[in-house]
Amino acid sequence: MNHSLRHSNLKSRVASVLLVVGKKYRTLFGVAMASTVAAGCAQNAPQDTWQPKGPNAKIIDDLQQPVFAVAGIIGLIVAVAIIYVIFKYKDRGQPIPEQTHGKPALEITLTIIPALILAVVAVFTFGAIFKLAKTDDTEMIINVTGQQWWWEYDYPVQNEFGINQPIISSGQLVMPVGTKVLLRETSRDVIHSYWIPALNGKRDAVPGRVQTLRLEADKPGLFAGQCTEFCGLSHANMRMEAIALSKADFAKWVANQQAAYVAPEKDSLAQQGEAVFLNQCVRCHQVNGLLRADGTPAIAAPDENVWSGAAPNLTHLMSRNTFAGATFDLLSKQCRDEVWNAPSSEIGEKYLAGVSENCLNQKDLRGWLRNAPAMKPMYANPTQLVATGGKYRGMPYLALSEDDISKLVAYLLTLK
Amino acid sequence: MFSTGFKYFIGVTVLSVVALVMSLFVLDQLAIAGVALSMLIGSTALLAGIAVVTRDGQTKTSSPELSKDLTTQSIWPLVTSVGVVLLALGLVISSLVFFSGVIVLLAALAEWMVKSWSERSSKDSGYNSSARKRLLNPIEFPVLAALGLGVVIYSFSRVMLAVDKSTGALLFIGLGSVVLIAGILFVLKPNMKRSVVVAICAFGAVGIFVAGIISASTGLREDLVIAKSESHEHPECGPERSKHFDKLAEGNLSLRSSVDATIELVDGKLSARIVGFNKPQNSVTIRRSTPTNLIFHNLDAKEYRLVANLGDLASTEPEGKTEKNLVCTQLTAQGAEQALVLKIDKPATVGTPYLLSVPGLEGQSIELVVP
Ligand code: HEC
Ligand SMILES: [Cu+2]
Repeated sequence: MNHSLRHSNLKSRVASVLLVVGKKYRTLFGVAMASTVAAGCAQNAPQDTWQPKGPNAKIIDDLQQPVFAVAGIIGLIVAVAIIYVIFKYKDRGQPIPEQTHGKPALEITLTIIPALILAVVAVFTFGAIFKLAKTDDTEMIINVTGQQWWWEYDYPVQNEFGINQPIISSGQLVMPVGTKVLLRETSRDVIHSYWIPALNGKRDAVPGRVQTLRLEADKPGLFAGQCTEFCGLSHANMRMEAIALSKADFAKWVANQQAAYVAPEKDSLAQQGEAVFLNQCVRCHQVNGLLRADGTPAIAAPDENVWSGAAPNLTHLMSRNTFAGATFDLLSKQCRDEVWNAPSSEIGEKYLAGVSENCLNQKDLRGWLRNAPAMKPMYANPTQLVATGGKYRGMPYLALSEDDISKLVAYLLTLK
Repeated sequence: MFSTGFKYFIGVTVLSVVALVMSLFVLDQLAIAGVALSMLIGSTALLAGIAVVTRDGQTKTSSPELSKDLTTQSIWPLVTSVGVVLLALGLVISSLVFFSGVIVLLAALAEWMVKSWSERSSKDSGYNSSARKRLLNPIEFPVLAALGLGVVIYSFSRVMLAVDKSTGALLFIGLGSVVLIAGILFVLKPNMKRSVVVAICAFGAVGIFVAGIISASTGLREDLVIAKSESHEHPECGPERSKHFDKLAEGNLSLRSSVDATIELVDGKLSARIVGFNKPQNSVTIRRSTPTNLIFHNLDAKEYRLVANLGDLASTEPEGKTEKNLVCTQLTAQGAEQALVLKIDKPATVGTPYLLSVPGLEGQSIELVVP
């Protein structure tokens, strides 16, 4: 439903309510209603549930529009009746009217009508539920794992999409357009819930369970969402984005994600950064292909350091636009706006450009390395980790020098 | 002019405003307390408004005078104080005591409230007590009955854990027959004296209760004691039979768990049915550090077990003697299923993938991919 339509609907509703309400309350009521209406008209609302951008969200929208209308009308009738009765029969000292009891015809009618309305709503609701639960037409699978407070995505081997070795990423879910994608969700710690309103409803990610959620986007685009099951301190900072790319662009993305690790140039700042990374970061963060000084592969051990047992894989960090649970931008404001405001046909190209040195949001990334828990609340204070046996929830403060931070940023910029 | 209800709500509102202001000074940010207090202020202010508009909902006809001789003796102040004591002790001793305190308190408050309400509902004390009963008996009787039954059932379960298996079966049949006979007796003699019925039931209940106490003090029967002390070590993973059962799966699975993939053995071939995939796969992705529930479904005529080969265990000895990290199911008969829970923290090293295989069946395996 577009904004103007919603606007006029509400206006007429406001008008009808105003007719009933007494004169002296009119202004007050008018102000209240007008601000409600205004609140519904936000321009920049990427998580608007009334704007489906794919078939699954459309199924929900086709259900919620008529149900909303029916519920709205009934709600209005009830509210008006109550307000009317309150004012009409207010205790003004009049004698209590004659009391009667029971009116079978009326009672039966008033039971049957709501039952019928609910039955009709139920039929369509069940229809929608079953349509949304279908999995036998799935074309592509992505594993989604929730943990405090970010989402991990891994793509099992699927040769039809050029995925012949597993891909792993975080924060931004990249998927091909017009493809029936099935998310297999679970969690590493507490219950989370995955929700991209423009593409489908919510599905809880529950430890010990695998639950599925269909996603399909009609056109290339960026769709925002956030965790919708309270999951602790930084629940509000556990966001995610789905990026739908044309099939050709998606193939490019897949190829890039599988590209072999390129070590930074000799004697560059980035190479010094790699050394700092091996010292400070590899105990939590995996960078596939990264070798230790002795030539053995550097295998991260987040299970020994982080309560959930995982930290984001940084192999292709700069191919994403956000970090830390999609809460902060890796792109500067200007470059970010260029991606988000690009027409659908150009989004793929802009997104695949990744993060260049010029476009990097230096302030937030440096801030993160300087003191991550100061930017995003996390249980990362070593003195308060008795309950988790010393393991962090989130990324701790690492007391890095500004020098080391510059080296690390130079290194991270090579992880494209 | 201001009604009692209004004064009450406006008082709470003012107090919460004061508390909110103070909390803003003490905590320099608006934490949960701030949100809660704001919500309290909003709702009590609204209630104060409603109270003043409706004049506390008082109409002129109601409100009979409370007369002293209609109030009867009450046990609830006593029970309430027991509840408060449990509550306070519970804070120190255990949460079980604390919550029983909460329950006792809630029950006492509800009972007390209804009692005092019923005592002022009319001037006829007979009517008042029947009003109380009409409201509360439908709750009291089932709750008391459930408590009583709970005690009896718990006592009986202690007896069953203490006696050996065949005696247990006999006891169960015996007790069942006694209950049945008593029931038949009651039906056939509907005019039997009430006190006799009560005596029979009470005798039975007290008997089971006493037997329960005795059994609890004698302890568990022998095989249960052994089972409890048995080691949780994992059995060897060869094709031979082991008398231990798979405790890893037992510890990780719960009613809320779901299966990630089913590994099927049909006609000497292994394949993986993974939730979400429409075709059988020959590799399974296991997310790092995430307990993943697999099921081994043996459709082959012979008994087999499924073994996950997860590389080498880090050796603790200096010579670097390595040991294989194996996790396996119990031997599984044809048509049967066994759960296997895998939690893998690190990806496999290049060239030596993690594999699922079946001892005694060569050339069949499924790769476990850890991204
Ligand atoms: C104790 C484990 C630990 C260490 C050590 C650690 N991190 Fe992190 N890091 C995390 C966790 C956990 C997160 C996810 C935090 C969140 O989003 O809630 C994270 C997030 C990040 C992110 C955002 C990634 C994304 O895709 O969202 C970057 C970048 C990062 N860390 C860089 C580093 C660097 C560079 C170092 C070394 C100086 C480092 N980390 C050391 C645990 C760690
Ligand atoms: Cu969450």
